[in-house]
Amino acid sequence: MNGPMAMPLDETFPRSIAARVGIGGPVGSGKTALIEALIPVLQARGVDLAVVTNDLVTREDAERLRRSGLIDPLRVLAVEAGACPHTVIREDPTLNMAAGDDLELRFPGLELILFESGGDNLASTFSLDLVDWWIFVIDVAGGDDIPRKKGPGVLRCDLLVINKQDLAPHVGVNLVQMEADALKVRSNRPVVITDSRRSAGIDAVADRIVRAVLFR
Amino acid sequence: MLQIDRIVGSRLDEGYSERLHDLEHHGAVEWLMLAAAELARRRFRAVTSGGTEIAVALPRDETLFDGAVLLFEQHRAIVVRVDAERWLRLGVRDMAVALELGYHVGNLHWRVRFEATAICVALEGPAEAYLARLAALGLDDRIEVAAPEAGSAPC
Ligand SMILES: Nc1nc2c(ncn2[C@@H]2O[C@H](COP(=O)(O)OP(=O)(O)OP(=O)(O)O)[C@@H](O)[C@H]2O)c(=O)[nH]1
Ligand SMILES: [Mg+2]
Repeated sequence: MNGPMAMPLDETFPRSIAARVGIGGPVGSGKTALIEALIPVLQARGVDLAVVTNDLVTREDAERLRRSGLIDPLRVLAVEAGACPHTVIREDPTLNMAAGDDLELRFPGLELILFESGGDNLASTFSLDLVDWWIFVIDVAGGDDIPRKKGPGVLRCDLLVINKQDLAPHVGVNLVQMEADALKVRSNRPVVITDSRRSAGIDAVADRIVRAVLFR
Repeated sequence: MLQIDRIVGSRLDEGYSERLHDLEHHGAVEWLMLAAAELARRRFRAVTSGGTEIAVALPRDETLFDGAVLLFEQHRAIVVRVDAERWLRLGVRDMAVALELGYHVGNLHWRVRFEATAICVALEGPAEAYLARLAALGLDDRIEVAAPEAGSAPC
């Protein structure tokens, strides 16, 4: 060893392979809020992470995360999805893959990249070319019949998050029934209930991520 | 937990096929059973047929395939085996129905193969779920459905 060495940014340097986790779901269900709540929890567990956000034609979510003070702003990249948010996470995820590669090159030792999809409908799913594992976020205020509608996002995701649990009493939603319905349509694959604004349930989400793709 | 970070070869490679055969005779080949739709995954936990817990984390340019050798030791090997894909055959009688079906199947992003007068859909869930979608689109009574058998050959 000859002392500290500058990290060259060339392709030949053995770079880290970070786990890639997708976070999708309908518009406004709380995807960015979930990421904001997850960042400190994952950091406290020593996870070296970065985020890629997808918005239609703006960089709103990326700017929000950069300003949040939760994470080094250089660790947040934005991909502009254009017309269809699902196109860049499923049919042609190359822009997102390139953003992930870019982060891996810039941050040796990077372990985890979270990809937030632009808000979409219940049919949106991630390509496994892009992510290793993915979360679908729905919220209580969207109605307790959402799981019963069996959207591919709800059915196929590796983890279903039902967010905004605090709103259940205000929108007349029976959360126990909603969770039971979700577990039923998912053949008992995992479901976690959260309140991302007050960080409830976030530890359980972090547990799942860390176990599934960081093998801890 | 055993870490797997690359594919070492194929079951069909000259260097492996015979030695794997020997190991198999000694019951020393463990299978990693995967559904066809799961082959695209590069990072996941699994348990082999021999009960070994593994953590797979492949480079982004490597993709699993049926017969991928993940571990090859003197007394043990781990090899990927893909569950046979199930296909739902949707036969059509006339052009108008064919166009309509093709349009909807595309919108639903189903994985398909084409036959002269049928579309075959690769099932990633129960066939009933697919048939329910077709019924909701009013197509069920205008197509001929051949339900899949497990392990049936792709049509
Ligand atoms: N009451 C409550 N509000 C929440 C919760 N999570 C998010 N919100 C609010 O819901 C709104 C939408 O949250 P976002 O995190 O921006 O949702 P998103 O899914 O990222 O939205 P898009 O990226 O635009 O699709 C914001 O006003 C959040 O403050 C929650 O658990 N409870
Ligand atoms: Mg957002």
